[in-house]
Amino acid sequence: MRVFNRILDHIEEWLIASFIAAATLVIFAAVVHRQSASFPWLWKYAAKLDFSWAQELCIYLFIWMAKFGAAYGVRTGIHIGVDVLVNAVRPAWKRVLVTVALSLGAFFTAVIAIMGARWVLFIHGTGQISPDLEWPMWVIYLCIPLGSSLMCYRFLQVLVRFLRTGTLPAHTITAAAEEPA
Amino acid sequence: MNVTLILVILLVFLLTGTPISIALGMTVLTFLALFSSFSIDTVDIVSQRLFTGLESFAIMAVPFFVLSGSFLTDGGIARRIIRFALALVGSMRGGLAIAAILACTFFATISGSSPATVVAIGSIMLPAMVRHGYPKRFAVGVITTSGSLGILIPPSIVMIIYAVSTSESAGKLFIAGIVPGLLLAAVLMLVTYVTAARKNIPTAPRASLKEVWLSFKDAFWGLMLVVIVMGGIYGGIFTPTEAAAVSAVYAFIAAVFIYRGLKLKDVPKVLLSAANTSAMLLYIITNAILFSFLLTSEQIPQALSQWVVAQHLSPWMFLVAVNVALLAAGQFMEPSSIILILAPLLVPIAKSLGIDPIHLGVIMTVNMEIGMIHPPVGLNLFVASHIAKMGLTEVSIACLPWVFVLLVYLVLVTYVPAISLWLPGLLY
Repeated sequence: MRVFNRILDHIEEWLIASFIAAATLVIFAAVVHRQSASFPWLWKYAAKLDFSWAQELCIYLFIWMAKFGAAYGVRTGIHIGVDVLVNAVRPAWKRVLVTVALSLGAFFTAVIAIMGARWVLFIHGTGQISPDLEWPMWVIYLCIPLGSSLMCYRFLQVLVRFLRTGTLPAHTITAAAEEPA
Repeated sequence: MNVTLILVILLVFLLTGTPISIALGMTVLTFLALFSSFSIDTVDIVSQRLFTGLESFAIMAVPFFVLSGSFLTDGGIARRIIRFALALVGSMRGGLAIAAILACTFFATISGSSPATVVAIGSIMLPAMVRHGYPKRFAVGVITTSGSLGILIPPSIVMIIYAVSTSESAGKLFIAGIVPGLLLAAVLMLVTYVTAARKNIPTAPRASLKEVWLSFKDAFWGLMLVVIVMGGIYGGIFTPTEAAAVSAVYAFIAAVFIYRGLKLKDVPKVLLSAANTSAMLLYIITNAILFSFLLTSEQIPQALSQWVVAQHLSPWMFLVAVNVALLAAGQFMEPSSIILILAPLLVPIAKSLGIDPIHLGVIMTVNMEIGMIHPPVGLNLFVASHIAKMGLTEVSIACLPWVFVLLVYLVLVTYVPAISLWLPGLLY
């Protein structure tokens, strides 16, 4: 089990870091490609390339990153909640509230995983393909059931650890610094 | 009434302390399951929205700007910007503090996030100010507050989220933020100058012209990012999202190869932390889109808008109400969630009262700035308390006078629309 979790952690981190890097490079390349049209000597070669699919790919990469990254976020404790009440009540009640909060997370993501799986099956039946890349849509929609199941698993992990040790993953301040907005 | 019901359900979920995104999604599920004609079609619409809600190229500016911000924070760019700001204004009374505000202003023009601005500038300027005999509280207040310029001066992640959730143009909103942002920077500097004169804070010797030039040359590659992003968007070279992607690549090159503040082997860590933050934001966005789908399908924005119009509220009174509501919401939620939930509700009303949605966007952004330096959930406070090694309460007290300054400024921005609308009116 421990080995399984470690492998899962690595795959998760590796996937989302690659997705964000790939999306950035794709859009950067598409911009460079389009601008190269102003230089005839360059465009001679660049014109042969086609980047019309870049935006679509970028969107899909980021949606995949968002679904798996949200699961990673449960592990790092980055999903912020309203803690006014939680911090105001007695420890015994706090324990109850945190348990409820984490169970809600696990429940919601489980429901979404099931609904997403239903939707993937439906899309599979229609044989829909994406407009630019012409990839089968059901494969692209797979991120919803897969990501949400993983997220559900993460919520359960955090819940079990909380019930056993009373600790929650705390988002470190240095990383919080990169919180936008 | 349905709107009360929905809000009560949301509040109950929120109070358990569950993530805001989960609370939003659970509200939608609960309402659909218990109080509406629940059918398999609704389930399908919800499943579809989970994906199609994010299927927009405009939203993707958010992760790109987050990534670019991560490279800028870690890349040694802030240090150069501070040196340049010090050379320019360091010799004035309260010069270090004024230079800190100027550096935050410069940094805000290349970064779209305010906590990132506090970290980048504060971790260098705060110890410097304390070392030179500035009262610690004063120094912390200056940094935490001027860091909030990050979201008002373009580019701004908060503004992108507003633009996406109300179908306004992010480019126009960026332009609208320039004058209010610079004006606020000027106001903060003025307040600092007056306070410094009263407290008799030491001054530094004037920098030579040579130092000004050298520090400018050193900071040049960092500051070039403003030209690329803003010039690129308004020169029609690329869309805001593409500008964000280019700025991420540029920030990477500047951090790793020009300034060498970041080692190549640390890049995966930066990628992962940027992915973590942006996935969190995108997840809130997905669920907020679900939530506003519920509101729209229950016709709540229209009902609310009709109700407000029937009250014969003047735009003036409406804006008072908006500000009070936003400040209240800022007490317990962070900016992106507030904007995602409230902006789609407020914009139709504002429009029917003749208020420009771009103006409303600027008002909301200034409101969010106040929320960030105000307990209990001010993100800037958390960051500042970590850098300053001061308790959250003490940092909050240090920021209180500044909250007051920002409130006065909010009134100004609210009732003088020209501050926000003059520049976009000129360009669009």
